[in-house]
Amino acid sequence: MDRKSNLKNRIFIAIVVLTNAAGNVLLALGMKQMPDFDNVSVMGYTASLFTNLWILCGIALLIVWMVAQLSMFTWADLTYVLPVTAGGYIVTAILGKFFLDETISLARWAGIALISFGVILVSETPPHDTGGDPS
Amino acid sequence: MKWVWIIVTVLSGAFGDLVSAKGMAVHGEIDDFRPSGLARILRYIVTHPLVFVGIVSNAIAFFSFMALLSVSDLSFAVPVTASSYILKTICAKWYLGERITWRRWAGAFMVAIGIALLSI
Repeated sequence: MDRKSNLKNRIFIAIVVLTNAAGNVLLALGMKQMPDFDNVSVMGYTASLFTNLWILCGIALLIVWMVAQLSMFTWADLTYVLPVTAGGYIVTAILGKFFLDETISLARWAGIALISFGVILVSETPPHDTGGDPS
Repeated sequence: MKWVWIIVTVLSGAFGDLVSAKGMAVHGEIDDFRPSGLARILRYIVTHPLVFVGIVSNAIAFFSFMALLSVSDLSFAVPVTASSYILKTICAKWYLGERITWRRWAGAFMVAIGIALLSI
């Protein structure tokens, strides 16, 4: 992989990780402001879903996430992209701590460490690996 | 009912990722990120049958996961469905012809277990 492709790959990993985490946190923030599902009509609930600014921004970010991840599949393997972008789970946990008052228990810290090791392991493999096949 | 939603979530999520990865892989590496290039990518994504089916399948996975959350706790739903990483790794080997080295196997397992720990 040349330097330009390598840079592109890194930028896309960052975009996938950050838009996924930020999108999820915005959705969670928006859902907390939603009326109780049992107390409103389906129409009313749908209306408040699509007029909630947090939820709309969250959906927009998740669309960017999906397009960026699909773009990565044009030069990188599924078994590279999925583990390497799993860093999004870590960012989500940390954002959740700061913006949603969630706590990070010892088990969660262990999970964060394990995901980090997995990301590092896989990020050191070539993004596209078909076993010596030059294509 | 819980297990039905788990199976639907894991299978449609794995199927969605596999076919959309296949559909994108045949496009070849994207290098043009000017507005016209981005428009071309978007058009390809919504019109390529495999990619489109993959997105629909992932949407099914998303909604069945929501349904799963309505009948079980997050701390149960997330670890169980994280197993889809293993299924996707196995299927990527025969469907996408990817070479799964020990680093990729270890990475997939670490991420799946790590996600499970995060939700406890």
